[in-house]
Amino acid sequence: MSVVTEVSTDGKKLTISIRGRFDFAKHQEFRESYEDKELSAVVVDLKEATYLDSSALGMLLLLRDHAGGDDSDIRVVNSSSDVKKILAISNFDKLFDIS
Amino acid sequence: MADTHLDRDVLSALQEVMEDEYPMLLGTFLADSIERLSQLHKTDDAETLGATAHSFKGSCSNMGAIRLAQLCNELEQRSKQKSLEGIEKLISEIDSEFAIIRPLYEAERQRSLADSATVRRF
Amino acid sequence: MTSVQPLEPLTILIAEDSAADRMLLSSIVRRQGHEVLTAANGAEAVEAFRLQRPQLVLMDAMMPVMDGFEAARQIKALAGETLVPIIFLTSLTESEALARCLEAGGDDFLAKPYNQVILAAKIKAMDRLRRLQATVLEQRDQIARHHDYLLNEQRVAKAVFDKVAHSGCLNAPNIRYLQSPYALFNGDLLLAAFTPAGDMHVLLGDFTGHGLPAAVGAMPLAEVFYGMTAKGYGLSETLREMNAKLKRILPVDMFCCATLLCLSFQRRSVEVWNGGMPDGYLHSIASGERTPLTARHLPLGVLSPQTFDDRTEVFPMAVGDRVFLLSDGVIDTCDANEQLFGVERLQRVFAANRRPDQLFEEIEQALRDFRGEARDDVSMVEVSLLEAAQLSPPALVYSDSGQSCPLDWSVSFEFRAATLKRFNPLPYLLQLLLEVHGLRAQSGALYSVLAELYSNALEHGVLGLDSSLKRDASGFARYYQQRNARLDELKDGYVRVHLQVAPKGEGGCLTIRVEDSGKGFDVDRVMARPLDGARLSGRGVSLIRQLSRNANWSDDGRSARVEFFWEALA
Repeated sequence: MSVVTEVSTDGKKLTISIRGRFDFAKHQEFRESYEDKELSAVVVDLKEATYLDSSALGMLLLLRDHAGGDDSDIRVVNSSSDVKKILAISNFDKLFDIS
Repeated sequence: MADTHLDRDVLSALQEVMEDEYPMLLGTFLADSIERLSQLHKTDDAETLGATAHSFKGSCSNMGAIRLAQLCNELEQRSKQKSLEGIEKLISEIDSEFAIIRPLYEAERQRSLADSATVRRF
Repeated sequence: MTSVQPLEPLTILIAEDSAADRMLLSSIVRRQGHEVLTAANGAEAVEAFRLQRPQLVLMDAMMPVMDGFEAARQIKALAGETLVPIIFLTSLTESEALARCLEAGGDDFLAKPYNQVILAAKIKAMDRLRRLQATVLEQRDQIARHHDYLLNEQRVAKAVFDKVAHSGCLNAPNIRYLQSPYALFNGDLLLAAFTPAGDMHVLLGDFTGHGLPAAVGAMPLAEVFYGMTAKGYGLSETLREMNAKLKRILPVDMFCCATLLCLSFQRRSVEVWNGGMPDGYLHSIASGERTPLTARHLPLGVLSPQTFDDRTEVFPMAVGDRVFLLSDGVIDTCDANEQLFGVERLQRVFAANRRPDQLFEEIEQALRDFRGEARDDVSMVEVSLLEAAQLSPPALVYSDSGQSCPLDWSVSFEFRAATLKRFNPLPYLLQLLLEVHGLRAQSGALYSVLAELYSNALEHGVLGLDSSLKRDASGFARYYQQRNARLDELKDGYVRVHLQVAPKGEGGCLTIRVEDSGKGFDVDRVMARPLDGARLSGRGVSLIRQLSRNANWSDDGRSARVEFFWEALA
């Protein structure tokens, strides 16, 4: 499974982990991991993500839109330096908490 | 190694498949066989002998003539050898075997024709 | 007995030289529901196939005239792409003979004596393969047709887009660019246009995705870019409109990374906005230094109009300086080991470059050396600052009939703090003035003068900024930072614009007066300075004096007045 989800015990926080390439092939799996849930906080764990492209950025935007848009609370954690660079160029740190 | 001249199970299966054409099948087989035997006697070319024996073997096995099929197989193998010495003996064995089964097939043919005639009466 | 599932009836060719065997097999096959064709030798079999095209063949290996192997070869050749399964009937046991069957194109064997159950199973299996092959071919043809259709759609889309893009000035002498012919369908966009004042706006963009979805976003974006640039809107307003439009029409996960430039030949500066694109580079010929123009913004189409950030950075440029922009196709070019070309290699090409004119070729060569072949989504553009006189912006095209125009009128505006913060009145004022046909020939000068008067009134007057800050690059940056900060905090102040058009002789006269609520300046001192083309600051006043007539300042510099004249039109 390349997209793994985990819900916290109080049901409020969702953690989505991506393994391998974060690209368009994961589109459906990624969407299905959150679309039936009401979310207050989401963590996207990229520790095992090897690569990120513009369709992944688009998928993050969809997640953000689902989780409340400007009121959402989404953290992107464990990004490798390559991934951080991509997120920096696109200035996505203005929309997401990136670490 | 079976010594059956004529496998009756095969015949009933054939009759079931062929239905009304069963007698014709038997007749055709007999006619073909006579033709092939004549071929075997006429030729002295090893390849032709082998091919004819091979073909005859196939038909015999389909028609339930087990021993005859076996003999044809032997002939086919022998014809591949360098020397054709003693092959006439094998051919005459084939002749004899055919002489045995021929009347059996003819009787079967008569029987099946009579049966179907009987059936048609009703 | 057999428990055969109902199979679609096939036409099966039986090639067998033994009459009894042929008869038997025909009956067996007919009983299984199929139509039977027969042949007594290989030649008859090939002929029967050619004429009747059965779907499956039962072939005896040993036959006179032409044996089963040759017949099988010929039948397979006749069948071409279609799969016609051939089942060899054989009592051959030697593996060599069996190998011959396979070589000849046989798909399976049936031994004598014939077993009906096995025969039925083999026919069923072969038929499944046959139908599978037929499906594959049909789908392949369907895909090929669909592909042609899509290619045609793309051709049409590109033709429409090219019409929209026609008003651009990518062929101006100060622009060099490289773009693949398929750029549009990679989402790459390159636009350039002159403003009425003779400045140049350039956009290098990269839409997410590929194909038509990427191309479709490009059209509304290009229309906004060209429309607003032609009317005299600045970068910030154009950016706001483009962002709002894309946000509205694109799905949430689509956006457009873009770098926008406004090159001003008169003011010798470049204004930059970079949302999500790789670093551009400002190359100073004199010092050899390359300043990276880094992305400070999110791409277009992501933020709502309320949260969109339209702040730009401004850098000074000397004549001959260049701005170089590239799409991520350059950096992302991979070699056979999936290593990226990367920024470091690009920097090395920059460092090794001796003749600026060769830069494109050197980069392309470096990419080819790295990858071994060219990529088709590499876009690069280089814009140089030339002397204003070297460029000739095309004349504005007017859409009215030219028959009626207002010749004797005046109007006054007062723009107060709240309006000054968020509104640029210049495009409207210009449109208004261009209703006067006699002024159209001077639209460039008119716009430049209006823009200078307004910006002087706003920046030096109302905001109290010191233009001498703009004497070097870091001062420039500080100046514009201060400008944005003070504008954000503005609570009071005004700029008044009075326009008066009156007939004069055979032609007419336009009087423009601009007043501001600021502290004014030492008019005499500034007037005493010679008209100096090289200094970065203070050029506004020189420009006004050069482009208009009877420029004069009163009320301690708080009020400026200029005139424009025109003769009778032919």
